[in-house]
Amino acid sequence: MSPTSTSVSTYTRTQTATYLTDVVMGTIADILADLKIDVTVLYRDWKQDEAALAAWIEEESLQQVVLECHQPNGTVAPIIEFPVAYTESGKGDATFTADRAALARYRAKLERVPAGTTYGLICTFRKARTAQPGWGPATRASTEGLTSLKFGTLAAAPHAALSMRYLH
Amino acid sequence: MQRHRQVAAAPKRRASDTWDAIAELVGATLDRSPHIAASDVTAEMESASAIGRALVAAGHLDKYAVVVVADPIYLNITTVSGSAATDLDEDLGPVPGGATATGWTVFLPTPDPVGDAVRTAVAGLPHFSADEPPGETMTKSASSEEANALNLDALAQRAQERM
Repeated sequence: MSPTSTSVSTYTRTQTATYLTDVVMGTIADILADLKIDVTVLYRDWKQDEAALAAWIEEESLQQVVLECHQPNGTVAPIIEFPVAYTESGKGDATFTADRAALARYRAKLERVPAGTTYGLICTFRKARTAQPGWGPATRASTEGLTSLKFGTLAAAPHAALSMRYLH
Repeated sequence: MQRHRQVAAAPKRRASDTWDAIAELVGATLDRSPHIAASDVTAEMESASAIGRALVAAGHLDKYAVVVVADPIYLNITTVSGSAATDLDEDLGPVPGGATATGWTVFLPTPDPVGDAVRTAVAGLPHFSADEPPGETMTKSASSEEANALNLDALAQRAQERM
């Protein structure tokens, strides 16, 4: 019998949180730029939001991040959801991957929005969360009457995966 | 002199920390010059941090480099994201050549869909540009440019000979 060896990489929840936070923040920035929605506030609050999302993913309280586009006539559409699915430690994907090429193709299909459209970021939770600066209670806009389109898995990491759903 | 540095992004660093690492690399390199004030470099890199973080987080800098031109330095900086970032062998020390640099410009890439955001972000920054960076030969002497012209002529002549 020939000798064998194995290599085991140990990744932390912090790394998973860092990775998925980057993917969701970068995706939101690209979507807003694509829709020509002003990103001044997103850029201004980046560090604060980045820290909050990473903390909530690491403690596994974050259920999903929701990007709502508020049009000048009061319509809230599109709405883009980023659900996080947590996996039992060690049972998830052993690598950090993101399907950015597919995302770029998908973004091209997003419906345009009128000038003056603004956005809101809302997080929903699956369990108690730690308080984070700059975040307070909010109410989601209704999704009634919107058509849902699944993008599928956007990014995968050892302890969780991030997917995307587009409602328009 | 053409140099390339890779900076580990997520999951090793958050986007904001990655941009800070890039800023420190640029700052440490240019700080060696007596003609460039480190405080100016730090201030401008900080002013560009908002768009820098967005470029990092979306993975744009994995594909398109930030280019620092400070003759004789021509430095390409890219990021590495995903699994490869966890065991990347980084070299974030100052790039040689900074001591003789007299001016500097950081060229940011303008990939879709954030090209307009990049152009807006750098508009008021004297040492940043959203233009195509010059070819490295343009930062060298006239003799190099003449050599390039000769090479192009030779290529054109060779193409004609083949027709």
